[in-house]
Amino acid sequence: MSIVQDPLWYKNAIIYQVHVRTFFDSNGDGIGDFPGLAAKLDYLKELGINVIWLMPFFPSPLRDDGYDISDYNSVHPTYGTLDDFKQFLAGAHQRGIRVVIEMVLNHTSDQHPWFQESRKSQDSPRRDWYVWSETDTRYKGVRIIFVDTEMSNWAWDTISKQYYWHRFFSHQPDLNYDNPAVREEMWNVMKFWLDMGVDGFRLDAVPYLVEREGTSCENLPETHAVIQELRAKLDARYPGRMLLAEANQWPADLRPYFGDGDEFHMAFHFPLMPRMFMGLKLEDRKPITEILQQTPEIPSSCQWCLFLRNHDELTLEMVTDVERDYMYDAYAGTKTMRLNLGIRRRLAPLLDNDRRRIELMNGMLMSLPGTPIIYYGDEIGMGDNIYLGDRNGVRTPMQWSGGWNGGFSAADPESLYSPLILNPVYGYQSVNVLSQKRTEHSLLSWMQRIIQVRRSTPAFGSGSIEFLYPANHRVLAYVRQLSNETILVVNNLSNAAQAVELDLRRYKGNILIEMFGRNIFPRIGDLPYLLTMGPYQFYWFRLRRI
Amino acid sequence: MSQGISEQAQVEAPQTEVKLAEGSILTDDFIRQLINVGQIDILVGLPTHNNASTIGPVVSAIQVGLLRAFPRERAAIINVDGGSRDGTPDLVTGASIDDLRHASNLYALRTLHSISTQYSPAPSSGIALRTILAAAELLQARACVVISPESTNIEPDWIARLLHPIYNDNYDLVTPTYRRQKFEGLLVRNLIYPMTRALYSWRIREPYPSDFGFSGQLGSQFLAQNAWSHEVGQTGAEINLAITAMAGDFRLCQSFLGMKLHADRTATDLVPALRQTVGTLFWSLDNHFPAWSTRSGSQPIPTQGAESEVTLEPVRVNRQRLMEMFRSGIAELESVFKSILSPATLSELNRIATLEEAEFRYPAELWVKTIYEFAASYHKSVISRDHIVQALAPLYRGRIFTFLTENRNGTTEDIENNVELLCLEFERLKPYLLEVWNGRE
Repeated sequence: MSIVQDPLWYKNAIIYQVHVRTFFDSNGDGIGDFPGLAAKLDYLKELGINVIWLMPFFPSPLRDDGYDISDYNSVHPTYGTLDDFKQFLAGAHQRGIRVVIEMVLNHTSDQHPWFQESRKSQDSPRRDWYVWSETDTRYKGVRIIFVDTEMSNWAWDTISKQYYWHRFFSHQPDLNYDNPAVREEMWNVMKFWLDMGVDGFRLDAVPYLVEREGTSCENLPETHAVIQELRAKLDARYPGRMLLAEANQWPADLRPYFGDGDEFHMAFHFPLMPRMFMGLKLEDRKPITEILQQTPEIPSSCQWCLFLRNHDELTLEMVTDVERDYMYDAYAGTKTMRLNLGIRRRLAPLLDNDRRRIELMNGMLMSLPGTPIIYYGDEIGMGDNIYLGDRNGVRTPMQWSGGWNGGFSAADPESLYSPLILNPVYGYQSVNVLSQKRTEHSLLSWMQRIIQVRRSTPAFGSGSIEFLYPANHRVLAYVRQLSNETILVVNNLSNAAQAVELDLRRYKGNILIEMFGRNIFPRIGDLPYLLTMGPYQFYWFRLRRI
Repeated sequence: MSQGISEQAQVEAPQTEVKLAEGSILTDDFIRQLINVGQIDILVGLPTHNNASTIGPVVSAIQVGLLRAFPRERAAIINVDGGSRDGTPDLVTGASIDDLRHASNLYALRTLHSISTQYSPAPSSGIALRTILAAAELLQARACVVISPESTNIEPDWIARLLHPIYNDNYDLVTPTYRRQKFEGLLVRNLIYPMTRALYSWRIREPYPSDFGFSGQLGSQFLAQNAWSHEVGQTGAEINLAITAMAGDFRLCQSFLGMKLHADRTATDLVPALRQTVGTLFWSLDNHFPAWSTRSGSQPIPTQGAESEVTLEPVRVNRQRLMEMFRSGIAELESVFKSILSPATLSELNRIATLEEAEFRYPAELWVKTIYEFAASYHKSVISRDHIVQALAPLYRGRIFTFLTENRNGTTEDIENNVELLCLEFERLKPYLLEVWNGRE
């Protein structure tokens, strides 16, 4: 299979997010690498995903899991070589899998040669590549993102005796996008990878590119101008490639990042994710329908990216104080589960390892408008280790089997980049790919099935959505439609059986075909359509007029 | 993705049609609405009948109270309407919590359900309460509160005051205490409170509340009683609920709600009021004989805030008319009283009826004996029970004349002391009740 030339391929994609370090170690040094990742491409193809999103794999001091890059045009030696990456990329493309990589635009590592040169003196030719100041009072009032570790957005540089601006860790100085040379150089970096064949970039921390006095230094028009410039260059030279925005913002603030279809192709829908968890715990669709009602229309060529969990904490920045308190109490009972304004847990532990809830959440992920992202290991229900620092508890080695190091590496267990999950519930002996492949009803098999159904249903990727609002608030129901294809989705958010009446009169005469078992349900008539649903059950129906 | 139509607008409760399945007090439509609400933690019952002029602020206060005090709990407002013709149910179900977000900066985590049902043929607090209890049981509500639609001065705080003791501290019944005008609530102060206190040994100041909270457990037990098949049980359902709680093994407390105001309305006729309260109280004595006959004295119950407050605002009462009605009652109902009262009591009543207004006193002891003899006669059905209750009306007026006279210039403390003395008299003479209860036919 080769890559299908569809310019809107990202709208019907299933993205698999993985860090090369975590997936498979081919050389026995305890760290995953590109040859290892390439060796597991058949597994990913079998799972059904068609896009891999790779987290940063560039040379880096690794003080922020690779988001502190010290060389944009190479591969971190522990993960392999540039040739290893090229072979992996070719292998993925051969299997019809696209590859999206990280592009950390906003900042570099303080170990990057650009910064080292910039800090040498105030007269350095690269001085203006970063944001320097005599005082730490500029851009006063701009929020601090890593509130648990940083006291200020300014850090004092003892070498050049000035403050430098950083929105994240102090070892991650922000690049100065007012400098045309910086913009040009970052485009050169992107070209380097595009020429190699990567299919897109996830642009990290985009709202923060440009700073202006008297503003929040977020989402500024000048930042949008930078994006538009990059997009124009991309479309001109590399049509069919994709830009994905990481902008943890409210939907209304996110909307401008799509522009008129001339900025990002895709953006993460950050506020939806915590509300899906909230809706599930509250057994009430209100949080979900409310945020989707507030979500503006986007250009037809654009797409939202939806996710349940990722490599970061379950961010609670885009919720109200009341909601955040509730989420902490509901999902992070102990302080060790919390980080910054979020919850550092994986999907299965968040849902008490309840298979019904895991399936329901994945069902919503796959059927709400957007492209779903699966975080590596969540397809088998991997657990986490809240006793590891920072977000490392959700970045433990992939669990392939019940054998040595969970099949991840032949190295001594003590030398792994991270301890494996060992506890009896989520440990690799219990939760692993090999054992789940042997079972038809395992979570992995179920995930394969739902991905298959999702991929065969274009309405999920590109169709419209209409909420039905049945009087039973525990039920979230919507219709996805694309040309002649009409899909009815009904989700029971409650842990108890529910009866729900749906007003489907406008679809009168259609019969319902349940999309997993393909069983026929009664024809729609004039009366409200009555469904009874088990706890956390969901239905996908294809409407057919026969 | 934006739909442009608010969810509130799309989930309006349909107009109910009063059509009951055989043996059911709930309409199919109401059951359908309850299915949609599902299991809840908190239920607010709102019985209404043509309350369009007052219901808006009441519903707003309930919504604010719920969002403030129970932001995470599953809650529902259940409106049980006795056939309003002024659109009251629409005002209840149409009140949007979205408005509160702007006005009160309150945010609802989850859906606050608001549903409505109607019953027929005529307004009945008993049917309304029974419907609320049935809904509470079906929805498995842990804590419930009933709010009067005429409580025009309701504060959002009331919700917490009436529900917190139940939801958080496992009480079963929370009755209100109010700041009353000195001559307001005369029936409660002269009869209902002292008698229930003496009978059941619990000092509940408002045993006939219009705003009160109760646990799901108490609600279910009360719902299961066969009292609903009797007219008297229906008529005074609220006081019967309080009596059930006092007689049973339930945890009781009171919460101070402040001033109690009502929307303007015509004065309730005394006889219907006596039927609802005294009639129910007398009627319940048979059922709860094992409980009240073995208790003596009384004890206070935990009270949140003041137990009672009295203001000294003057209230115009036609004392002369009271006296006239007392005297005419004594004269006209002598044969009836002969069936109900002991010769000694009747003789004393006849004596005081001849006194000049300035010297007239209906002393506490005589009043208590009168009431106890009426209760015993009711128990024995010496004549029609309804006639017994009606016959109490002129005597009650005589007693009220005395209460007004004794407290005309009294301070707050004086009035409270007099009520307390009367209570103690009811307690002291409780053996007399047992004597006449078990005595002559």
